[in-house]
Amino acid sequence: MATNPMYQFNVYRIGPEIKLGEIDLSFTNASLFMVISSVAIMVVFSLGSKKNSLIPNKIQLIAELSYTFVSKMISDTAGSKAKPYFSFIFSLFMFVLFCNMFGMIPYSFTVTSHIIVTFVLAAFIFIGVTIIGFIKHGLGYLKLFVPSGVPIVLLPLIVVIEIISYLSRPISLSVRLFANMMAGHTMMKVFGGFVVSLGVVGGWLPLSFSVALTGLEILVAFLQAYVFAILTCIYLNDALNLHH
Amino acid sequence: MANHDFKTRLKIAKNKIKSGQTKEKTQQQSSIGTAFKLSTELVSAVAVGTIIGFILDNWFGTKPWLILIFFFVGIVAGILNVIRSAKRMQK
Repeated sequence: MATNPMYQFNVYRIGPEIKLGEIDLSFTNASLFMVISSVAIMVVFSLGSKKNSLIPNKIQLIAELSYTFVSKMISDTAGSKAKPYFSFIFSLFMFVLFCNMFGMIPYSFTVTSHIIVTFVLAAFIFIGVTIIGFIKHGLGYLKLFVPSGVPIVLLPLIVVIEIISYLSRPISLSVRLFANMMAGHTMMKVFGGFVVSLGVVGGWLPLSFSVALTGLEILVAFLQAYVFAILTCIYLNDALNLHH
Repeated sequence: MANHDFKTRLKIAKNKIKSGQTKEKTQQQSSIGTAFKLSTELVSAVAVGTIIGFILDNWFGTKPWLILIFFFVGIVAGILNVIRSAKRMQK
């Protein structure tokens, strides 16, 4: 049971079954960990911004560092026009980061290792960015699909290719985060299983691998949250500053 | 004397920050991240193209043809995606 490396991704119900018509709205372990990470974010940032001392304590330092990190990321990739969307990108980055990091705690559940979670996030970003693009540029936003300087004969083909390329954005965004998290956690579990089955004699080598993998996974957890946020900025940049 | 010492140290630190910033920009991501990013770009466009072809085939009842065409268009779109994000990385 527990030696199955995929067992850690099981979603099960906690508490009573709640049904709304055909839809199952029961509280699961996935929802529990989403709630935990959101509450943790709120606690860190409300504590960090409560007392604005000139010499910051540790929590204030974390809050300020992450604020400047995200605001620098936005201004570098999407420019000053993207400032109003800071709060959205910041909460997105923090949510993904905290979910990834809570997944690194043993016996916990990694929310972002399920494609439906990452796909909903990515689809939300995709629809939002498309709406922003149409609000800012009207029908001129469709120029995104028609690159300049293309001969008329090739134009239908190019437009189809551009539309497919545009539609593939949420899929590549969600698959990247999901696959990274799932592959890493499966690999850690597999090496952990090797330690148990090889015992005291041969278990030391996979144990050292496990330690190294844990370090790598923490790096990946941060990096994927960063990549997710920075790609959101890039898509937002495409919608705000229309140039090809 | 102490003041002079501080000034040179400040200069060294400032230079370090400057060179550190340029370094940070060129190696923002680890190379495995880059490889993974490019491969998902390629695969996702092929998947989207194939799904569109499948749906259109079911609509028009032209069973094998549109899925074939859109599969290859998806490959082209994937290559376009890869070239675009590679260009973005080089910036």
